[in-house]
Amino acid sequence: MASFSQFKQLEKLGNGTYATVYKGLNKTTGVYVALKEVKLDSEEGTPSTAIREISLMKELKHDNVVRLYDVIHTENKLTLVFEYMDNDLKKYMDSRTVGNNPQGLELNLVKYFQWQLMEGAAFCHENKILHRDLKPQNLLINNKGQLKLGDFGLARAFGIPVNTFSSEVVTLWYRAPDVLMGSRTYSTSIDMWSCGCILAEMVTGKPLFPGTNDEEQLKLIFDIMGTPNESTWPGVSSLPKFNLNFPQKLPRDLRSILQVCSKEPLDDNLIDLLHGLLQLNPDMRLSAKQALHHPWFAEYYQHV
Amino acid sequence: MYDNDRVAPSVFTAPNAVVNVGNNNVQGPPTTGIRIDNVNDVPTVILPKRFSECSRTDLVILISRMLTFLIQMNDSSSTSALDSVTNLTKFHSKVPPGISVYNYLMRLTKYSSLDHCVLMAAVYYIDLVSSVYPTFTLNSLTVHRFLLTATTVASKGLCDSFCTNTHYAKVGGVHCSELNVLECELLRRINYRIIPRDDNIAWCNLESQHRHFVLDTQDGDDWTPILSNLSGNRNNSGYNVLDTYYNKIVQLVGSLKSTQDKSKLVNYTFANTLKPTNIHNNEGLNLNPSPSGNNDKMTTTCNNGIDNDNNDGSNSNSNSQIGLEQGTSSRKRNLDTDVYESGNESYGKDITGCENTLRNGDRGTSGNLNKRHFNRQKKDSD
Repeated sequence: MASFSQFKQLEKLGNGTYATVYKGLNKTTGVYVALKEVKLDSEEGTPSTAIREISLMKELKHDNVVRLYDVIHTENKLTLVFEYMDNDLKKYMDSRTVGNNPQGLELNLVKYFQWQLMEGAAFCHENKILHRDLKPQNLLINNKGQLKLGDFGLARAFGIPVNTFSSEVVTLWYRAPDVLMGSRTYSTSIDMWSCGCILAEMVTGKPLFPGTNDEEQLKLIFDIMGTPNESTWPGVSSLPKFNLNFPQKLPRDLRSILQVCSKEPLDDNLIDLLHGLLQLNPDMRLSAKQALHHPWFAEYYQHV
Repeated sequence: MYDNDRVAPSVFTAPNAVVNVGNNNVQGPPTTGIRIDNVNDVPTVILPKRFSECSRTDLVILISRMLTFLIQMNDSSSTSALDSVTNLTKFHSKVPPGISVYNYLMRLTKYSSLDHCVLMAAVYYIDLVSSVYPTFTLNSLTVHRFLLTATTVASKGLCDSFCTNTHYAKVGGVHCSELNVLECELLRRINYRIIPRDDNIAWCNLESQHRHFVLDTQDGDDWTPILSNLSGNRNNSGYNVLDTYYNKIVQLVGSLKSTQDKSKLVNYTFANTLKPTNIHNNEGLNLNPSPSGNNDKMTTTCNNGIDNDNNDGSNSNSNSQIGLEQGTSSRKRNLDTDVYESGNESYGKDITGCENTLRNGDRGTSGNLNKRHFNRQKKDSD
């Protein structure tokens, strides 16, 4: 077990409400780490987010999941020692903005990132863990072009039968329509919707559905993907927040919407994968494993 | 690190009584309290195979029977004598709290709305903690604080809906600052391995032996073969252990005759379709129970071992058959409301009215269940 004196604390990397992250140097190994400091609250004790993040991440050893090396206990805080990553996908995309114009990433980089995202998600799902907060900020990248899933504070193990599933999960822009309509029976498909949103965002540099509240979020989704009904999505009308008065929209052509914001021609396979991930009906959405076998990734899996 | 002489008995390894039915030296717990001579007067509940479908009231009854049995074994064993100073842990009370295990667990379940999996995980954590912290023994001095801590940690770690530690502490009758300390203690002892997977205890032991937070194959070679064994067969991703515990508890203490905890006069059994399992082994984590021989009829063979009336060495099925074939009444209950059925029992009338909890004085003021759902606490930082 590590002690705090083993690390030299360097510059601050980020701030959250429950934690502050610093860059750190392991003095014995010379390896950089990320030190996430969690304050222990007198009312909450150890924050539930920290308990989840630690207990789940210590089980996940995969090239596309950020490694948790250690936890250091000091007087009134916990320090989580993570693998150091140079950047996150959000900051990386922001850094490429020209003037006020967001720029999409090169399609071969999009493909490499998305492949790694699918690998990481597939590994979590195989281990019966839902991330529930996939978004560019939580995808960490390094200078080698590796992408890893981080921030498991909202994650949960779904193999244990638990009666309460919260629908207050996933940052709004990346939240699936079934969850927005109050479904509590979601599973891995909740993460796959987020992966679809992330893929579109990497292509265009802009979030696909940037809603400001639940209603607007659903409206933005239906504007592009079409308004669901019982024939396109059996069972949708029994979701708690389904509304017969939703404005009735027909699906629009994803390619033409995205192509405007991309310098490269978008191929059929990319659009097909996006459609698979952005299925309104969660039962129709591609799984991570299915996505990894999608023709768009042929160049990767044919080499494996 | 390991002192084998003092390894605390685990939920399923502790009782000598169930080790060997044919052994005449078998010692069951002393018979006290109410005796039910006519088994037919006691209702029998047919339980679902999975704990998640079982009513929480029935789970609480079964678990408190199991813990009562464990406590009786441990209180009477010399290594965990109540006056032993050397074995003191943070979970110890000075004197046994005046509230029974059943009433205390019912109180926690009711006022903190504990989920099914939280109740089962609490039992599982007994084995987990005992395996890496041999000083800890579940006995009449440790059971209350342990249950409070285990259910708090399980709720926060496994469920989307949970309360603040302030609330849990108030229900449990300790100061919040103490619960915070106990929570840290539990998490550190088990190295944050709170996810009840089948191979979790083995992993926890390995980490504990090597004093590593996580094990890496690059770190050394000595445990590599063990790691690869552990990562192997992960049916249902290894989430079967809580159902395994549930099944064993029902087999061990399902029948009223087999338990000294007479809080509820009811027999529990599974439907006849369930295959009999042999629990006469010393493995807490026996995931492949072998069928005991000579079992044409469904029975919970383990009852024999801990029933004083029936330690004659034969693998007799007579006791449990009665419950199965006669007087069987099946009850169906609402999973969410069943805990609230019995309002006038002694586990406390409201959140603050518990007179027998672990702390004297300084009772809380708020009677509201301050349960909240798991919400995003972080804002996008851009």
